[in-house]
Amino acid sequence: MNTKLIISKISKIYPGCIANDKVSLEFGSGKIYALLGENGAGKSTLVKILSGVVKPDEGEVFLNNENIKLNSPLDAKKNNIGMVFQHFNLFETLSVFENLSIDSSKKNEELRLQVNDILKKYNFKIDLDIPVLNLSAGQKQKVEIIRCLIRNPKVLIMDEPTSVLTEQETDDLFVSLKKFSQEGILIIYITHKLKEVLSLCDEVAVMRKGKVVSVSSTNEEKIESLANKMVGENLSTIKKKINNFKNSEEILKISNLNFISDDPYETNLINLNFSLKKGECLGIAGISGNGQSELFQILSGEIITESTSIMFRQKEISKLNPRERREYLMAFSPEDRISQAAVPELKIYENVALNNFKSSNFFEKGLVNEKKIKEHSKKILSNFSVNTDNVELKSQFLSGGNLQKLIIGRELITSPELLVCFNPTWGLDVGAINYIHETLININEQGKSSIVISTDNDELLRLSDRICVIYKGKLSKIMDASTVTPEKLGILMGGGSID
Amino acid sequence: MSFDINFIGILIGAVMASSVPLILAACGELITERSGVLNLGVEGMMIIGAISGFALMVVTDNLFLAVIGSMLSGLIISIIFALLTQSLLTNHVATGLALTIFGIGMSAMIGKNFVGIPGKEFPLLFVDLKESVPFLGPIFFGHSIILYFAFLLPFLTNYFLKNTKLGLIVRAVGDSPTSASNQGINVLLVRYSCILYGGAMCGLAGAYLSLIYTPQWIENMTGGRGWIALALVVFATWSPIKVLIGALIFGGITILQLHMQAVGLRIPVQLLSALPYIMTIIVLVVISRDSRKIKLNTPTSLGQIFYKEK
Repeated sequence: MNTKLIISKISKIYPGCIANDKVSLEFGSGKIYALLGENGAGKSTLVKILSGVVKPDEGEVFLNNENIKLNSPLDAKKNNIGMVFQHFNLFETLSVFENLSIDSSKKNEELRLQVNDILKKYNFKIDLDIPVLNLSAGQKQKVEIIRCLIRNPKVLIMDEPTSVLTEQETDDLFVSLKKFSQEGILIIYITHKLKEVLSLCDEVAVMRKGKVVSVSSTNEEKIESLANKMVGENLSTIKKKINNFKNSEEILKISNLNFISDDPYETNLINLNFSLKKGECLGIAGISGNGQSELFQILSGEIITESTSIMFRQKEISKLNPRERREYLMAFSPEDRISQAAVPELKIYENVALNNFKSSNFFEKGLVNEKKIKEHSKKILSNFSVNTDNVELKSQFLSGGNLQKLIIGRELITSPELLVCFNPTWGLDVGAINYIHETLININEQGKSSIVISTDNDELLRLSDRICVIYKGKLSKIMDASTVTPEKLGILMGGGSID
Repeated sequence: MSFDINFIGILIGAVMASSVPLILAACGELITERSGVLNLGVEGMMIIGAISGFALMVVTDNLFLAVIGSMLSGLIISIIFALLTQSLLTNHVATGLALTIFGIGMSAMIGKNFVGIPGKEFPLLFVDLKESVPFLGPIFFGHSIILYFAFLLPFLTNYFLKNTKLGLIVRAVGDSPTSASNQGINVLLVRYSCILYGGAMCGLAGAYLSLIYTPQWIENMTGGRGWIALALVVFATWSPIKVLIGALIFGGITILQLHMQAVGLRIPVQLLSALPYIMTIIVLVVISRDSRKIKLNTPTSLGQIFYKEK
């Protein structure tokens, strides 16, 4: 089965932005192709065109020398083009099997057999009869992949598949993708992660501002050369942290943190104890779903537990709610920017006002002082290099990177003593990640403390002074970051021990 | 003793009859809402169904035509709603409210010439058995065909949603129209169909009132039943079987409190009149409090405007 896919002079223009500018590319089966570019480079538009979701203004697509018209997702399916979207296209309240059966013409029994074969063949472990909302991100992605495999795809497009995956899940995905490729499926892999391009793909096309700027074989490329092509300028390397506060006072002490949940899909936390010094960054590693979000919610005060003691700046704050904790100069940046950290439908300045009820004179006698909030928001936008100065803009129109800068800025502008963040850079491009990392390093250097809960080990090794691993609701021993290697973390994250 | 037992049977039969319009309208609205569309025009569509059914009966002297006509008129008026919300992307809530106000006004206008005209007797089934079988007779027999249909409808609706491909597609559209569209499902077609079906069922519910339950035309004769049907759908957490239970409780307590008023208990009449509303809500909240099930049954995209990327 030889597949050849040719994209010829595809253009798509949105008001105020050229998403794709005469993009031409050629793909052949048996290889994995990377489509690399920063957020907004036009990768997603291109794959939406290939999957029939968006119609191009110009250009043609040829599959095995036949000019195919992709006017709707059905056309893409008919031509055996499968697509796994970055934001999953699943029905959360339906069961896994219902999600799979909805666009299949097969009988249920027949389909179930086929799905079970696929599960066995690729060693996927998914319960077909539970609702999708109970699956982890990695499992959801597998459901999307299975949905494509059912239709025997010739082409499989993956749009930034690892942005929500843990390292282990990423490795599993790569194994599967290589298998698919050997079986003759043409794979187009969209990403902005350079390492992945080099470790997984055979060829790489780099896009910048809607244009293809380079096509090459991955053996000819290095991380630096790809980064420079992608960004279009020489990237500065991130600075190393100087720790001025080695023997400073203790600022936070957590003891006896226990959490037993009624919800079978949450993780119980068992007897966590740790402390944090002034100017220190504690990294908490782990595969997602091992209790990180519960821990974050307990630290932020969204969940109040009975037994836990949280001493912060010599005060017991374990019974305080998030707003009260903020008044004691704690700050929080949750994992999900869109649904937890910000309200996407609200304007930037309204989002800024949300967590600053007490700190300033935003509200007078119950009325909103718009002028003050807007001035304050403008300050955040410029201090934290958010790529807009329009505080009236709705937050949903900010890119992930800019939204995260806004959120971190909103938290930090009140000079908190402790910042707790959860996966602060997931789904962001290199430029934004570097910016966030520098910001986090800076606050430590200014004597402020931070806790970074993350599934990205590189991030933790870069930022933390001490690191521990959370596994099934329990914390590992806390280690000095200089003694930790990615291998050690890997063992602990899998439930192993290193003593 | 046989008198007492028969009396209870008759009472239960009356409760069933009074819950029919609620079941019909709520089951129709349930399908509409399951596709992600919130149509607050139930009351308006019901009353249009009631007047057009009655008017057709008077004009054609044919009950079959009257029933079909009432469904068609409910369907036609729901097309207005579908056009506005789905094609012109107007707000569901505002459009639905407008539809209700429009329906009430329109029906009053058409109905002017039909006030005071007596209705026609609607054929009832198994009347002999109703008389001859004690207790069970008045419960199961001597009803109109529409009542039997109404009591079958929640089960049919449940089966449709859970076991058929089309039902799955309706639920998928209600969960995430964007995902559905990306999967090649024609979201507009699904939502239009569900809105029109809901309209037809509301029309039928109206016809039951004006042709069978109280066979005559009285202005504003739906008397808020459309709103009760809407509330039933929500409090029954979009489960057709719970809609049936809720409708029966509402009908039951309505009839019961009328009897209590007649007996002359020393309870304020206003409180008794409020009883059906309070009890229905309490019961439905209690039987539907499983938060996981609520999450799974609630159409996630309910009331959201959907537009397709181009």
